[in-house]
This record gives sequence, C-alpha cells and structure tokens, in this order.
Amino acid sequence: MMAIASEQQTVDLREPSGWRRTKNQIATVGMWVAFAVMLVPLGFVLFTVIGKGASAISWQFLTAPIPINVLPVTFGGVGPAVYGTLVITGFASLMAIPLGVLGGVYINEYGGNQVLARVINFFADVMTGVPSIIMGLFIFTIWVLHYGYSGFAGSLALACLMLPIVIRSTYEMLRLVPDSLREASYALGATKARVTLTVVLPAAIGGIVSGALLAVARAAGETAPLVFTILVTQTLNKNLFSGANTALSTLIFQNATQPYTGAQARAWGSALTLIAIAFILMIVARLITARFARYDR
Amino acid sequence: MSIAAKADPATPAGSASPLTKRRPFGDRTFQVLCLAAGLLVLIILALIAISMTQQSVTWFTTAGWSGVFSTNWDPAHGAYGALPFIYGTLVTAAIAIVIAFPVSLGIALLLTEVVPGRYARPVVYVIDLLAVVPSVVWGLWGFLVLAPWLQKIYQSIASGLTGVPVLSTFFGGTSVSGTSFFTTGLILAIMITPIVTSLSREIIATVPTIDREGAYALGATRWEMIRGAVWPHSQAGVVGAVLLGLGRAMGETIAAALVIGSSATITTHLFNPGYSMPSVIANEFGEATVGEFRSALIGMGVLLFVLTIIINLSARAIVDRSARRTRGA
Amino acid sequence: MQLRGRKHVATVGGAVAVALLAACSSSSSSSSSSTGATSAPAATSSSAAASGTLNGAGSTFQLTFQQAAISAYKSVASGVTVNYDGVGSGSGRADLYAGTVNYAGSDSTIPSTEQAKLNGRKVLYFPVLIGPIDVAYNLQGVSNLKLTPTLISQIFQAKITTWNDPAIKAVNPGVNLPSTPITLAVRSDSSGTTQNFTLFLQDAVGSAWALGSSSTVKWPSTAHAASGNGGVATTIKSTAGAIGYVDYSTAQASNLTAASVENKAGKFVAPSTTAASAAAAGVTVKPDLTFHAVWASTDPTAYPITYQSWDIVYAVQPNATDVSLLKGYLGFLLGQQGQALLAPLHYAPLPSNIDSMATAQLSQITS
Repeated sequence: MMAIASEQQTVDLREPSGWRRTKNQIATVGMWVAFAVMLVPLGFVLFTVIGKGASAISWQFLTAPIPINVLPVTFGGVGPAVYGTLVITGFASLMAIPLGVLGGVYINEYGGNQVLARVINFFADVMTGVPSIIMGLFIFTIWVLHYGYSGFAGSLALACLMLPIVIRSTYEMLRLVPDSLREASYALGATKARVTLTVVLPAAIGGIVSGALLAVARAAGETAPLVFTILVTQTLNKNLFSGANTALSTLIFQNATQPYTGAQARAWGSALTLIAIAFILMIVARLITARFARYDR
Repeated sequence: MSIAAKADPATPAGSASPLTKRRPFGDRTFQVLCLAAGLLVLIILALIAISMTQQSVTWFTTAGWSGVFSTNWDPAHGAYGALPFIYGTLVTAAIAIVIAFPVSLGIALLLTEVVPGRYARPVVYVIDLLAVVPSVVWGLWGFLVLAPWLQKIYQSIASGLTGVPVLSTFFGGTSVSGTSFFTTGLILAIMITPIVTSLSREIIATVPTIDREGAYALGATRWEMIRGAVWPHSQAGVVGAVLLGLGRAMGETIAAALVIGSSATITTHLFNPGYSMPSVIANEFGEATVGEFRSALIGMGVLLFVLTIIINLSARAIVDRSARRTRGA
Repeated sequence: MQLRGRKHVATVGGAVAVALLAACSSSSSSSSSSTGATSAPAATSSSAAASGTLNGAGSTFQLTFQQAAISAYKSVASGVTVNYDGVGSGSGRADLYAGTVNYAGSDSTIPSTEQAKLNGRKVLYFPVLIGPIDVAYNLQGVSNLKLTPTLISQIFQAKITTWNDPAIKAVNPGVNLPSTPITLAVRSDSSGTTQNFTLFLQDAVGSAWALGSSSTVKWPSTAHAASGNGGVATTIKSTAGAIGYVDYSTAQASNLTAASVENKAGKFVAPSTTAASAAAAGVTVKPDLTFHAVWASTDPTAYPITYQSWDIVYAVQPNATDVSLLKGYLGFLLGQQGQALLAPLHYAPLPSNIDSMATAQLSQITS
C-alpha cells in the first residue's frame, strides 16, 4: 500500500477505513478457513485408514491367500488382490503409456494446426472427463460379452481410462520443449522421427514419465472399471487372460458392506496398501519432475 | 513397443542433399504409428457411444419414453423407470458443487494472492494428497465412519427443525444408517475440490499482474483487488472449472454407491437415502442377467455418458475462451 | 526373471510387477485358513488327478460354506480351481440357465415361472446343508426376545411399527421394550432366504400374510433393502431398532442377537444348529431330493424357520471333464470332509438319509 503524503491532518490515509479493513480480514480468514476445511476430511480419512489398517499390514497380509469372509484378519491376507492390482494395472500401463506418448507426439509434432490434430486434442481432453464406470461398461459390452471375464479385460478398461490422461500430459510437456532444439536437429539433417525420438522426447522425458506415473496411480485406485470386467474372485489367478481375477480396489468395495469384523479389517488394510501405492507413485512422480524435468511451466 | 527407428538413410558424403530424397520408410512408419495412436481416442469414444447405445435399445423400445422416465423402478416386476436415479445424480452433484465451490475458490485465492510463492508448495502438496486418495477409500471411510457419525447429526437437525416451513422440507428427514443424498454430496465435494482448485488456480494465474498492481496502486485492500481486478477476468474460467467439477461429481461411482443409501425414491429430504445412476449400475449389475434389466442399466450408462460429455464440452469451451481472452491483455 | 509372453520390460510398473510376482510365487499358497478339514484321503481317486475350473454362483446362505470348502478342496485336488460368487439364489439360477456357471447355489427349487428357461433340460438337486434363518434384531439391552409367527408377519408387513407395541409386550412379559421405531431390514436381490422365510410365514399364519412367497417380495416402502445375507446383517448391525431375516451362520459371525420363535409344538426355540437338525430330522424328501424344512416338524425342540440349500446342476454335462470335476467337488461337499466343515461355521449337517440319497444321485451326472 503506497503511503500517500498527507497534509496537516489526523487522518492516516495509509490504512483503509474500518469497514473496508474488516471486510478484507474476513475475506482472508475465509480463505484460510477454506484451506482448513479441506484439511479436515483429509486428516480424518488418513487417520482412520492408518489407525485401522496399520495393525493388519504384515508380509503375510500382503501375500497370503484370501480367507473366508468370516475369519478374523489374522488368518490369511489379501495376496491375490495385491497381485491382481499390480498385474492388471501394470499391463494396462504397458498398453496405455506407449500409445499415449505416441498420441501426444502426434498432436504436438505432426499435427500442427491441422483440424484433425485439434479435434483429437479436444476429444482427448473430453475423454479425461468420461466417468470410469463408462469405461467398465464399454469393455463389458465389446469384450466381456464375447470373451468372458478376465484380468485382461480389466486392463483394457484401465488402459482406456489412462490413455487420454497420458496423451494430454505428454502433449503439455512436449509443448514446453523449445523449437530451437528441433530446428537445430533438422538443420543437421535428421528426419522428423529421429528428431522426435532422440532429441525432443528425451528433453521432455522427465515430465512425461511423471505424468505417466500419476496416470498409473489413478488407475491403481480405480474400482468401477474392474467391477464389470474381472468378476471378482477370492483365489489367486496367475493367468491374466482367462478367468476371474481380483484387485485391492474391488476387494475393498466388496468388504465394505460385509458385517464381519475380519472382512472389514481386511478392507482397511487393503485401503492403506492402496493409498501407500498411490502416494509412492505420486512422490516418485514429483521427484522426477523436480530433478529431471528440464522445462517446467 | 517396438518403434522402427531406422537409421537415417545415410547420405554418403558427396551425394545429393537429403532434402531431395523421398522420406525414409522408418520416418513414415513412425508418423503413421503416432497418427493411429491419436485416432484411437476418437475410435474409442465412437465405439463407446455405438456399442452401449446398441445394448440399451431393448430398454428404450420396450419401455418407451414414458417407461424410461417414470419413477417406478421395480426390476422384479419389469418396471425400469430411471427418473429416481437421474434425480439423485443431479441432487448429489448439486450439493457437491454448492459445498466445493466456495472452498475451492477460497483455496485457489489463498494460493495465488495470500501465500507467497515458497509457502504455496506445501499447500499444493496437500491438495495433491487429497486428489490421490482413491475413490473406494473415500467410500469405505464414508460408509463405516462418516455415515454413522452423521446419522446422529441428521437426527438432531431434523428434530430441531420440525415445523420450520422451508428448511424442514429439505433437512427434516433422516436416514437410519446415515447414508443419504447429503452424505454423498459431502463426499463428492471432498473429491472434486482438488480438481476445481487447481483449475481455478490456473485461471486466476492468467490475470495480468498489471491489473492487480493497478488496483493496489489505487489503494485497494486485497479483497477489493480480488473483487475488482481478479474476479472479472477469471469469472468465466472459474465457472468452467466448476462445470468440470460438476461433471466429475456426476460420474463418481464407487464412493456414491457405498454412501447413498440405495433407495430409489424421489424426495426433497436431503437427509434421506437415495440412489444415483452410477450407483445403481455398480450395485445392481451383478444381478442384471435378464435382458431388459441389463439393457436398462447400460442405458443409464449412456445417459450418464451423454450428460458428462455435454458438461465437459461446455466447461472446456468456457475455460478456453476465457483463457484466450485474458492472455491477450 | 522374465514375464511370460512379454518381450520388453520397459516400464517401472513392469519391473515392480516382476519383483512382486517373484515374491508371491515363492511364498505361494501357505497355510490355508481351513476350519476343521480332516486329513482323510480323497474319497474318489479321480478327483486327485483331475484339473480344471468349476464356476458356481448363487445363494449367500451357502457362501461361507462354499468358501471354506473351496479352500479345503485345494488340498484334496490341487489342480482344480473352484470359484463361487455369492450373488443370491435368483441370480445363481439365472447364471445356470445362461450357461455361465457349472452349478447354481439355490435355497429354493426352480419356481414354475422359471421352468421355461431350462429348455427342457433336466436338472439335479444336490442338498448340501441345513441351517436356521434368524430373526435378528438390534435393540439395546434386549437379548431374549420371543416372537410368534403372527407377530413376525405383522412386523414385516409394517402393521406393528414400534418395539413397545402391546402385542410384542404380551408375548414378552417382563422385558423392557423401548419406544424405538422398528426398521425392517430385507433383501434387495432375488433370494432363496427370502423365499423360505416368506414360505414359513405363509404356512404358519395363512392368509394373515399378504405378501406371498417368492424370491423377491414387495416389502413395505419403509423397509431398508440390502444385497445378500451379509448386507442385511450389516443393516441390522448398524441401525438401532432394526429387525431382519438373516441366515444363522452369517448372524453368528456378525454377532447379531436373534429372537426365539414359536414352533409348531407351541414352544419358543432359539436358533441353533441342534434345533435345525431336529427340524430337518423327519422331513419328507421327494425322489428328486427336494424338500421344505420350514414349519414342518412337530418336534418341540425344532426351530421352525429351518431351511436348506441345494447345488443345482444339469444332469447332462457338455463334456466328461465337467462330469468328473462336478462329481469330485460335489462328492467332497457331501462326503465326510465337507460335512465336517459345517459345524464350526454354524451350519447343521445334512440328515444322513438325505446325504446318502444325494451321494447316490451323483452317478446321474453324465455327459
């Protein structure tokens, strides 16, 4: 606030009058209250999940087979669900990340101002907002009805979910790479593919990997796409391509409404595991951005 | 992925310039590959629309428009009216927006105007933490912890408001287990806050500094500056952000399925249990082996898809337009 | 360590999956959570050599037993994978008609309205267990409630709406009943438990019960519907003043309190496996192994709402592997090992005459 030189008066014009100042203070307090309001549920949920889930976690919990529902949490564990989450999400990532990166490359490097590129960009954006349940129903309709339930169907649904996210984040990262880099490479006689693969992508790789990891974190926690595609089972199924499978997220969904304390405890333990996986991925993504992203917004 | 990154067709020293040669095979393959990957987006969206509409035709033709939009949902007797679920989806999303909008805007303003750059980072991390908690965990916590706790609060509010004219129609009901429209709206609000906040932040950050400084120069308090310089510029963009949050709230499935109460009734009592489109699809799909039942559920999926696409389209259009306008200043 | 069928381990996700694949396969299927599986050798040698997958779905009454049996069966026939999905008797039967499962768990026989879906194919009923349906309730301080069939029918038709209604008080002198409103907990899905519970009411009170007997019933609009026996148990557990019908096994595992119900002999009997066995003891069994245990026995120690569950299969299977897999697994359920799993899980075993008839019927499964 600039101090206005006053004449010989007692009014100090540096400070706003009472009511204006109060309004300002209320507004500032309001903003801090908004922040606190957001902290409350976050703290509450983390407190609950850690409190109820931590006691269940053990190596046995993460690897042993799923016991019958009525048994307490000291028996068995959620091994098949951990396996399912990792393998189904892993396979979905294997499908979605390369395709997403290529799609982002198309929009930014080859698309230019063409209508097709802008249309794809726009619809990739729209597709990020499609509810995950739609992806599950979609894969149910075109895959499960013909080939049955399987972990692979779940991976397909998750890949549909991840694809637009990876495309968008790749596109954003590639945009930040300065054109001078590309022009210098062209001047040296390289083809477009070579420039993209050996110069542009490595320059943006930090941001791209970090964006991909966030997409993986999101997919690992998704339940709705899996409910319609993997036909949840209790036993370990190592074959991704045939037969029902299970995952941490669907196990939590099933056990949430069970009346047995053992089943609920397994749900809390799985919730903690899932949050841990998502957090770790997020932190790794942030670290990669901090250390390897050469160009930041 | 095996990309055919063939070696650059080596131009032996002294031969014609590479610019006059045909584009090498590897280069073209790569471009086609990228194009195919990009087209996948359009293909998938089209397939979703086509295949799901196909599956839901049975419902539309058997029930007709009056059946589809009736309030009678009774699968055991062949009635598949979707109105209670449409109502529930809209109501819970509306509650979510009403709660999330001021909170998100407040945090966004906090980050852009109040907190200096260095300290903004921890706040952003906290918002990211909120965003990364999976939906099913919110549902688990909501069902086992929040709902029982809220049940007592609903009861006291409802009994305290008996007889009060307007308020009791909305807040006079109660739910035996705490699961209700309002509980769902609350959880949805928590879940959409991160996305609305980060988008609002981006919008507000595009307000030119010169306008801010001008306001301060004229002696405005921070609040007056926000009202006078920031808000007019970012108004439209924030509306777009809110619309995006709305779209997300409408589509949120698992958390809603667990805390909404699974009761297909239309009522103004927000503390009563209800049902929404994604929730009923998730909860009842396992039992829907009869043709029309499953067709009805997929049909509701189509309705949801169309609704969220429309909302997202408008949201993006508004956000893009507002961003373009301010950037020019 | 290579991932089968994949050529490039390129992403972080892939590496992590590999690491945990190794960990998982090395710690493999450790101590399964068996509850009393005896170590007797397999009944039929064919089951030990067989391998394949069996899929079943249906009754949530059977669910806990199926889970335990599936787990115990692994030590008998390690090559066989059995999956059972507790979707409710109605959905289980629908899955059987659609051909997506090998056997359907159902607490009721196939109703006449569904006969057409069989397309003339013959089915075989294999009863697997007996158990009580609890009338479970959540009322602070009240642990010994008595109910007559008439009272139950009035409560579940919402004719009695508070706990301290004089009709309830009349049957429970000396019990301090609060004025809490009664919340009904019922099934939302197509359920054999519903069908048997309503059959009991129909048989016991006649025309005073107006809602009929079927897998889905139009309950009073104030009733709180949930999916599966587990869902109803959750509702009762979390709602003060709730009352609902849950199978005994689920109710015990959820620590619910159940009412004593007046039986045909006029005695109030609490649900238990002994009372269930007493109810099933003299029941009339048809040649196709269907029977109804509700409101049947005049034994004074019998629990009147005792019911049964069958695994239904087609008599003619598509191939010989399915025949041997089904004979192996169903034989296990009916045999000494399988039936021994029942008591610790709060089920009652089959009466021996029914068990013998069922075991003999196994030979009728052919391809």
